[in-house]
Amino acid sequence: MTENQPLTKDNTEDMEIRSLELGGLAGIFGTADHKNLGRLYILFGLTGGFLSLILHFLVRLERINIGGTSILDFGSNNQYFQTWSLSRTSLLFFCVIPLILGLATYLVPLQIGAPSVAFPRAAAAAFWAWLVGILIHVVTVFSDGGLGVPESLTEFAQGMDPEATELSILSIAMVAIAVLLASITLIATIVTQRPQGMTLFELPLFSWSVLVATGVWVLAIPVWLGNLMVSWVDFQGADALRYGNVENIWGQLSWLWSQPMIFAFAIPVLGIAGEIIPVATNRAQKQYVVQQIGIGALGVLSFGAFAQPFFNADVSDQAVFVAMGLLVVLPVLIFLGGLTDTLIKGKPKFSAQLVLALMSMISLLVGTTLSALHVSGPAIGAIQEIDSDWLSGLVNWLKDLQGTVIATAVMEHALLASLIASIAGLYYWSPKIFGKKMNNNLGVLAGLSLLGGLLLSGGSNLINGFLDEGDDVYLSTSNIGVWNKDAVEFLNIVGFIGSILLIGGISLVLLDLSVSIFLGKGSNEDVDNPWNGHTLEWSTQSPPPSGNFAEPPVVTSERPLLEVGGGGE
Amino acid sequence: MNLRTNDLPLAPPVRGRTPLVATGFTVAAMVMYFASVFGVYLKERALVRAEGLPWIPNKAKIELTQPGMVIWTLIISIVVMQWAVYSIKRDDRQHALLGIGTTVVMGAMVVVQTTWHLSQTNLIADEGPTTAATLIFTIVGSYLVAVVIGMIILTLTGFRTMAGQYGSKQTDGVVAASLYWYSLVFIYFIIWIAVYIAK
Repeated sequence: MTENQPLTKDNTEDMEIRSLELGGLAGIFGTADHKNLGRLYILFGLTGGFLSLILHFLVRLERINIGGTSILDFGSNNQYFQTWSLSRTSLLFFCVIPLILGLATYLVPLQIGAPSVAFPRAAAAAFWAWLVGILIHVVTVFSDGGLGVPESLTEFAQGMDPEATELSILSIAMVAIAVLLASITLIATIVTQRPQGMTLFELPLFSWSVLVATGVWVLAIPVWLGNLMVSWVDFQGADALRYGNVENIWGQLSWLWSQPMIFAFAIPVLGIAGEIIPVATNRAQKQYVVQQIGIGALGVLSFGAFAQPFFNADVSDQAVFVAMGLLVVLPVLIFLGGLTDTLIKGKPKFSAQLVLALMSMISLLVGTTLSALHVSGPAIGAIQEIDSDWLSGLVNWLKDLQGTVIATAVMEHALLASLIASIAGLYYWSPKIFGKKMNNNLGVLAGLSLLGGLLLSGGSNLINGFLDEGDDVYLSTSNIGVWNKDAVEFLNIVGFIGSILLIGGISLVLLDLSVSIFLGKGSNEDVDNPWNGHTLEWSTQSPPPSGNFAEPPVVTSERPLLEVGGGGE
Repeated sequence: MNLRTNDLPLAPPVRGRTPLVATGFTVAAMVMYFASVFGVYLKERALVRAEGLPWIPNKAKIELTQPGMVIWTLIISIVVMQWAVYSIKRDDRQHALLGIGTTVVMGAMVVVQTTWHLSQTNLIADEGPTTAATLIFTIVGSYLVAVVIGMIILTLTGFRTMAGQYGSKQTDGVVAASLYWYSLVFIYFIIWIAVYIAK
């Protein structure tokens, strides 16, 4: 691996002489330029998002029961479970993470005034390992592999192929290692490549959120990788004992999609909204350090590697888990409070990125509030002597919410908030990334469609959770014992409509990207700094040249361009 | 004189310790990985023992000779690796290379000894797969992968040292490689105690 040299006049000139722009396939496969890698992550992340929302649509379609008959029959619980689990793995690893990594790989060096990421070839290796890993994983799941089956069936074979299952485990492990490698390159970039005068307190909020998020990932994803490896080694035995038993594999891995860990993948929501809203209002963000603390607190409260129900069945009643579930709403509230103050005191310019950023913040706030609700039963039970029937009834009712589809609602809100925020970032930074602006109206429409879809899908899961629909929707038993079967079935139709809106939203983004960027219909006027941005990426041309900056920047505040008049309060 | 910090000129740019920071986080990730697997190992061992059953299968033999040799090999490798760091800080590339090369050879010795030891344990042959065997193979197998990665890093560092990239003014690469190597020794120490000594 080659680390970056600090940018000086000498080596900037040298870099310009040495830079070799490769086009075509050689340019794509051989690139170690953070800008090309960022664009590739974004394009594949959006494509993966479309595919994962199609899987989400299929899962929601299967949940519609009319007169006791499912609209879509997968043929077996196994196949339904494979689709269900792939919809989760792909939404996280094929959509949200690559979109975050794409924006971060492209923008972090620009925001901190660096010529590149710290280890460009490692960043390239991470991208290709991620892409190859996720493609193998998708193929193996559709080849009767996947991460297990829901129930212990009579024999292993039950429609599953052991070799494909093994490859599914190894390929998703490869994806996890790639994400770790990409995270470490970003952390090293932020920690060591900042220019003169930029301390961590002057770090732009997006870069700060990337530092916090990748820091949490670097500590938590290896734990998940450990679970995967134990499963894989056990799976090698002629008779898997426990971890490699196909009905146990998903149980060991599911904590990554549960609270509190799921919020670690939504940390950049705060960073993206924290960049867009002050620029839209042309004001400096007040209480900048408090905003940074908010992002840091969300990072701390989302470290969920300890919360593994497979190894600790009582974890959801334990104090740390409950406290984290309750407190996670606070940093989001504090951050949103700061942004609201900026919005109220300024005169925000209406734009797609502003609408999308606000929508992502609201989605995350709802998600964290649901998290608090999810753990409120044990919390009330712990702090108060229950001596009245109605209060103990309430506590028991709240406790019963655990294990219902409210957990799915929490996951949907966290991951879709991240998806919407990434799309907001795409509209905001598209002039910088592609040299063209995306269509404002299509962006707003996409945002409305995504938010509507989330409200219907997540909202129906929330209400169905109150009605006691089990989170193990891939089992026919999840509907047994619900309060009102008709209501649950009706709400599952509502959720299905939500899934259509989600697909519509991401399709509009892909359409806009194709028309505005690839067909060249987007405006390329004033693309260097169209929004009067406050941070360093807007001080160079769009798209930036090789080496990013002609001169190594010197920074004395968190909003250097605002200080020199690029924007004005 | 009333001079505030803000009045002072900014310090000249200092070269970021990029490889060291990246290695620090890599080590953190590796420690979390092994902590995860050790956590499962210790929990499962406690459960089996609580039932009064033997954790290691009766017919399995975990001799301490090879693990003892491995821990001594690794302890000596710390000294040798530190010798490489000491040498590069004094622009003594010849001895730095010797130190790095010797550490790589010691890594190979660790791989050979551990692999041979695993083949002699009889963990699976007679009683079939057990939970203990699964977890020991996961821990030790992962450790061997980490050692091989360390050997690759050291080899690359050696080539770069040979090419003159590292010297007294730029020791980061060698120091980072040594940090990774020391973390491997630390992890093996835990394996030695938890898996081999305590069984």
